[in-house]
Amino acid sequence: MIEYLLIAPILIGILCFFARSKKEVEAISLTGSITTLVIGLTLVENVYRQGVIISWTNALFADAFSAFIVLIVSIVGFVASIYSIGYMGHEFKHGIMDFRKLKIYYVLFHIFMFTMLLVGVTNNLGLWIAIEMTTLVSALLMILYTKKSSVEAAWKYMIICTVGITFALFGTILTYYAAVKILGETGDALNWTSLIAVAGQFDPTIMKLAFIFILIGYGTKAGLAPMHTWLPDAHSEAPTPVSALLSGVLLNCAMYGIIRFYTIATKSTGPDFTGNLLIIFGLLSLGVAVPFIILQEDYKRMLAYSSVEHMGIIALGIGFGGVYGIFGAVLHMFNHAMTKSLMFFGAGNVLLKYETKEIGKVSGIVKSMPATGAMLLIGGLAITGSPPFSIFLSEFTILSAGFLQGNIISSVLFLLFMIMIFAGFFNNLAKMTFGTSGIIPGEVSRWTLGAMAILLVFVIVLGVYIPPFFYEMIMKVVAVVR
Amino acid sequence: MSEVIFGSKIMQLLIAFILVSTFMILGSTRLYSCVRSFGIQSFLLACVAGIVAYSTGKNDIFIVALLTLIIKSAVIPYIFIYIIREIKVKREVELYVNISPSIIIGGILVVISYYLIRSISIISELSSLALSASVSLVSIGLFIMISRKKALMQMLGILIMENGLFLGAISLTNGMPLLVELGIFFDVLIGVLIMGILIFRINKTFESIDTDMLKTLIG
Repeated sequence: MIEYLLIAPILIGILCFFARSKKEVEAISLTGSITTLVIGLTLVENVYRQGVIISWTNALFADAFSAFIVLIVSIVGFVASIYSIGYMGHEFKHGIMDFRKLKIYYVLFHIFMFTMLLVGVTNNLGLWIAIEMTTLVSALLMILYTKKSSVEAAWKYMIICTVGITFALFGTILTYYAAVKILGETGDALNWTSLIAVAGQFDPTIMKLAFIFILIGYGTKAGLAPMHTWLPDAHSEAPTPVSALLSGVLLNCAMYGIIRFYTIATKSTGPDFTGNLLIIFGLLSLGVAVPFIILQEDYKRMLAYSSVEHMGIIALGIGFGGVYGIFGAVLHMFNHAMTKSLMFFGAGNVLLKYETKEIGKVSGIVKSMPATGAMLLIGGLAITGSPPFSIFLSEFTILSAGFLQGNIISSVLFLLFMIMIFAGFFNNLAKMTFGTSGIIPGEVSRWTLGAMAILLVFVIVLGVYIPPFFYEMIMKVVAVVR
Repeated sequence: MSEVIFGSKIMQLLIAFILVSTFMILGSTRLYSCVRSFGIQSFLLACVAGIVAYSTGKNDIFIVALLTLIIKSAVIPYIFIYIIREIKVKREVELYVNISPSIIIGGILVVISYYLIRSISIISELSSLALSASVSLVSIGLFIMISRKKALMQMLGILIMENGLFLGAISLTNGMPLLVELGIFFDVLIGVLIMGILIFRINKTFESIDTDMLKTLIG
């Protein structure tokens, strides 16, 4: 089962490479991502029914948490591949991309999907390898544009994330060292399943050190402040469908790495040490995002800083701990993935139409592109945490967890930052959506609107109603994390 | 077990030479000699892995030692030399921090690393030597990345850090499980290739590989 999930995107990538026309490559990519989605959903269902699945001599495994990551990756990946047809088609029509580049885009897109799925299903703490692979592939996606700024962003991304990931490797080595003392030098000693059983006996000093390195390492990749500096560059300079995947999914994958280690480390160090570290980094990320969102001049960068903010919120949720905190954080991963992708897709439409990324030069989106404008407004309300949308629910859960666990100061700060970000973000969004526009009305492409509409369903429905099976799924994830 | 191996004279000599090779990189102004020193460092690392493999009799570590020899001390230096030749850059390192302060800072970093590892004291005296050398390599690699202008040197810095971690892993636990080690080698190799592609692209777009140019995206 898990093998199919990994083989499918690679095969599709290879097939895309042999396509001979634009239509062909798009058809392969779309059917391919539907296949990945179907396999992904089947896997999620199997895990939901039977519990843990292990395959390929213990190297691959899927428990509730992996399944949850697979769910996010495959849904956003599917939607992004629909959006790509509209967006990249437009770039192709205007001569920004030639056919060769378009083809390479789709090949890399599916390989990128493969690496992210691999992050979810490796049993091994060598999860590191998968996360490093995501960096490598996405850096290549970024330099598809030959602009100076894209090359600069890709280089920074590559260097900063690789260094970060190197620290994570050191944390992994230390964890392995702690495990070897208990389990002996077997190939299994890095396996998630065998680690979790004995994590309580690990030497707390080593685990503290390991967790710090892991948090800094994967935190770099997850965009936690103060290691976030590459993020706004990379997310704003990548092709828009890739921006959505980077912000919505890849950050979650890195967060997944942190949370996995959090579970192991907490068993040996106790929740105070790991929890407080996560709270500090979470609040720092929220705080750093505030001024950059309020004073931002580039709307894609604004969305990128908003991702820093939301990763901070997830870290806070885990840091607060307890069933509520973790439930909120996990739900927030899903909600943020959907909403942020929606926002990036909207921003991509605006970029194609207005051909500028500056907030000051864009106005009257509602008039020039009514559907995109309306969805951007709803998405904007949702991403800043207004009721009755999905993100409100998860943020509220995290906030109440904070008060319940007695972290009054952090919770109040959290609330304060949220209000400032709401004001700043909405001020900028309102400038863009309302007012007059000198541009001939008309949407960019139906494909892009379709992709946004699918995401909008999640944003609206999950705000008012969490289906029982989804609730139960998240509770299973919480049981894994705690 | 690993303590005994790392306590041996020959091992300590090798580790000392690894540190010396790092300082050779810090102290040279020519790109070629930096790459050569890196090759020597990787070769010494392969020797360390080889000795560990020989003493423990584990085939896994032999494979790792062999891969280190092939990939890190031959293939990767070759890729570097290929890049330097193709992009026809000036073959000097170009520094933000001059050679003599660089070496002093390197020395300070080594001392700090030794004290740091001693103070944590998670392992015995003997193999703590290797672990502190590994931490020194990581910190000097990081220092090389921020103190040299050329994009190539940042790439080299990352590889030195990776070498440091390799030494750390092998001195703490006799290396990671084979599957993980293979994955890391794969990532390092692909990483070097992709960074190479990026450097070519930087050279084409900016007509230079000085990272000074890459300072437009802020705020």
